[in-house]
Amino acid sequence: MRWGWLALGVVLLVAPLTFQDPFYERMIALVLLWAVLASAWNIVGGYAGQVSFGHAMFFGVGAYLPLLVYTHWGGVPLLGIPVGMAVSACIAILIGMPTFRLHGHYLSMATIAVAELIRLLVTNWEFVGAARGLGGPASGRTIWDLSYRSSIPYYYIFLAVLASVLAFTYYMEKSRMGYYLRAIKAGQRAARSLGVSAPRYKLFALIVSAAFTSLAGSLYAVMLGFVDPDSVFGILVSVQMVIMAALGGAGTLIGPLVGAALLIPLQTFANSLFGGQGNGLTFILYGGIIILLSRFEPGGLLEIWNHYLAQKSRVGRTE
Amino acid sequence: MRNASVLVCGVVLILLGFSVLAHAGAPPVVKIGVIEPLSGNAAAAGQATKAAIEVAADIINRGHPELARLPLGNTAGMPNLGGAKVQVIFADHQGNPSVGQSETLRLITQEKVVALQGAYHSSVTVPATAVAERYGIPWMVGDSSSLVINARGFKWIFRSTPIGSNYAEAYLGFLTDLSKSGTKVKTFAIVNENTEYGTSVGGEIRDVLVKGGFALAAQIPYNANSTDLSAEVLQLKQKDPDVAIFVSYTSDALLFTKTFKALDYSPRMVIGDDTGFSDPSYIQNVGDIAQGVVNRTAWDIGKPGSATYRINEMYKAKTGVNLDDTSGRNMQGFFALMEAINRAGSTQPEAIRKALAETNLSPNQLMMGYRGIRYDATGMNTLASTYVNQLVGKEYVTIWPESAAHGSLMWPFKGWR
Amino acid sequence: MIALQVIVGGLLLGAVYALFSSGLTLIWGMMNVVNFAHGDFVMLGMYIAYLAVVALHAGPLVFTLLAAIALFILGAAVYYGMIRQVMRGPMLAQILSTFGLALLMRYTVFWFFSATFVTLPGSALSGSLKLGGILIGFPQLVAGVVAISLSIGMHLLLTRTTLGSQILAVSEDRQAAMLMGIRPDRMQALAWGLASASAGIAGALIATFFYLTPTVGESLVLIAFVVVCFGGFGSVPGAMLAGLIIGLIQAASAYYIGPVYKDVVVFALFVAILWVRPQGLLGTN
Repeated sequence: MRWGWLALGVVLLVAPLTFQDPFYERMIALVLLWAVLASAWNIVGGYAGQVSFGHAMFFGVGAYLPLLVYTHWGGVPLLGIPVGMAVSACIAILIGMPTFRLHGHYLSMATIAVAELIRLLVTNWEFVGAARGLGGPASGRTIWDLSYRSSIPYYYIFLAVLASVLAFTYYMEKSRMGYYLRAIKAGQRAARSLGVSAPRYKLFALIVSAAFTSLAGSLYAVMLGFVDPDSVFGILVSVQMVIMAALGGAGTLIGPLVGAALLIPLQTFANSLFGGQGNGLTFILYGGIIILLSRFEPGGLLEIWNHYLAQKSRVGRTE
Repeated sequence: MRNASVLVCGVVLILLGFSVLAHAGAPPVVKIGVIEPLSGNAAAAGQATKAAIEVAADIINRGHPELARLPLGNTAGMPNLGGAKVQVIFADHQGNPSVGQSETLRLITQEKVVALQGAYHSSVTVPATAVAERYGIPWMVGDSSSLVINARGFKWIFRSTPIGSNYAEAYLGFLTDLSKSGTKVKTFAIVNENTEYGTSVGGEIRDVLVKGGFALAAQIPYNANSTDLSAEVLQLKQKDPDVAIFVSYTSDALLFTKTFKALDYSPRMVIGDDTGFSDPSYIQNVGDIAQGVVNRTAWDIGKPGSATYRINEMYKAKTGVNLDDTSGRNMQGFFALMEAINRAGSTQPEAIRKALAETNLSPNQLMMGYRGIRYDATGMNTLASTYVNQLVGKEYVTIWPESAAHGSLMWPFKGWR
Repeated sequence: MIALQVIVGGLLLGAVYALFSSGLTLIWGMMNVVNFAHGDFVMLGMYIAYLAVVALHAGPLVFTLLAAIALFILGAAVYYGMIRQVMRGPMLAQILSTFGLALLMRYTVFWFFSATFVTLPGSALSGSLKLGGILIGFPQLVAGVVAISLSIGMHLLLTRTTLGSQILAVSEDRQAAMLMGIRPDRMQALAWGLASASAGIAGALIATFFYLTPTVGESLVLIAFVVVCFGGFGSVPGAMLAGLIIGLIQAASAYYIGPVYKDVVVFALFVAILWVRPQGLLGTN
């Protein structure tokens, strides 16, 4: 198993250097970005079982802050990153406390509503650019602007962030907190009878999830150089995060990465091949594949892999 | 065995030779990338623009004697490039800025386009043009309205279309002439959707009209794609402005018009700022209850036999509807782009950029009603302008300025009566 | 006077909201499935009505019935083809499958009709009534009346008939219901069929005063979620009440505060309600 991780690590480290094509380099950078987002969601949605459909609020806050710093004070966008994470953490606490008392569908609906509320408020707030959005530096002024023509530096930055999220998830899974979260996911009442303070652990999971999501949002804004309410606070962002984590395997360590590695290229190639015709085929395919995957393998792609491994070991034993 | 391998080598060599010869003889093609919303809420506009540009490419690639006054109208391909034909590669950005950037990158690095055009949504045009600027590939903006696009000190981005300030000037001129002739047009209200388009254009119109001496009765921003617009119309009814100006996309334009009828609100003048009101489906679906709506357009179909009439016929043959202003402006942008590439006589980016910067087209070389095309240092067309027209029957008739008018203003607004 | 007009408008709008949310509450409450595709079912109802008018010159009664039948069949088919399997899996898979379904439906319609906006030709249901100075849109009035009748009808069906109690039994305890001789799959397929049929009716009626475009479901579905949650999952009268209240609040805040704030007010209130009384107006918890 150790060799598997090593191999994965080597592949991820070397991947961008094998392409020599800016379009593919950008695509794999985006794969890692969405892997970070899906993994961040996974902490509270997969491990703690709290299905949030409003994570775009953290992504959006993270995306707006660096460009706010630039637009209003001419500052280095990077400075906005810690501020974004702090604001997201505050939102997580303010929203999380009352909201995460709810279960199941109520929770999902509440997160959708809060995210939409924030999007509407941002759309009508002049200070943050209202509906027009905010732009970043047109070209890099100093090295700290992180303004690169190539996607490869962004790829490695995202890789570093992904490694941290996964490391955190791995240790959390193994720790007492992970144990408690599994108990909470299995049944909150049972967990409480064990003496687990469900709200406290759920909140902690949410805060960490929010912080990582915000970080990814900030890096996205720096890479794109532009944000507007619909593209960073929209419900589609939230749904994408959930889809990738779930299709890859929610509650598993690399499920989100698998999901992102499948869905981003799928979306990208479908659009490049069919989008230009303008007949909607891209989305017909995308929708169809989501249906097929969720219907035939609800546990996600990793389940398919686990089945395969289980079968192999069974075969081995009979020989 | 040895004979077989010699045979195989020989066949391969012959095939290679043929392919080299085939490519050597093939006429060169000039690839242009066009990025528009071909899915999502704005797909109708994107599809119309796609059809318009396809017609333009066809005109350029084949000779049309009746279009001789337009550059490249009567040539087969581009004469200064050895008769090379233009090939347009369309991409869908889905209304998503990130997809817009990715597709721009793909068109530049994989499809190797020599120039780009797009992208309708300012939220996509702004970041996507940044990619083009970084790669040094010229970009023609035929439709987006945001001021940011040309305000960043970029040198590769050119915009042929008029923008908010041009529209505002046109309305000011029109309303001033009207009040001089005695029609009561003292107060106005602006109802604008609250995304980039509505906010910036609505704001421009408001500022220019107020400065020009008209009184603002109300400004009513609203959420685009609303399910219900009764409150907005009721507010208007309360304020009762002489002129109600709408900055809306098609869905809301349709709903507003229906709500007027439902709530029996018939202002003395309704101005619909292009976009939603120029969409052919607007006329098809609610034209009969929106008689007399005033609009702005730089597109006039013109008299039968004229170049513009011919172009409209070609577009109508392809899509079944008349060319609308937004698609027309994109078509004009495309023509201006290809004219510059032809004039450059080269597909080198810098040569194209230089040719674009030196563009000097006079009004009779254009299909749209601009005063010409000449770019300033930031890439904006200083001669962009627009007419004012009005819906009479199933067609929009140009009513202002006098030099271009085919009819006079029908006042007050008839609506469904 | 204006205040009364705003109120009437709000109630009519609310009735329309209730109309297209009634089906959703059935699915959500009964089977615990969040149907992201609900807005697109309504959209399909709109297009079926359009086709019926264009191809068959059908009147309102006919095209509404056609939409109801067509969507009943579709709902049952979706249940047997996809929902039944997905329901056994994690909640996430259920949600995602309906999201995929939404995309598939939306863009299949897009494929055939492209993005152009269309409206229902002919004026079978059009015009406004003037009652004491208040203007009431005739199609909206009809939609409102149908909404109320549909809600009452569905509520009676669920609580007063054997069939209804069978459906409720399955949703409460599938195993127990099977032991009682009830066929759970059949009941749930029926529930999906009914819910989809009501979405179809909603679409057909909304088409008489709204515009049609393949993506119209997107804007409707979020309001439907709010209405259903506010009314209480599974409560058809709750959805009716919630719809009316939300329509009223929207209209009032749009007129008195400002049109851009109408959604802000609704969502803010919604979040507050969830914090204070999550089971909604008439939901059981």
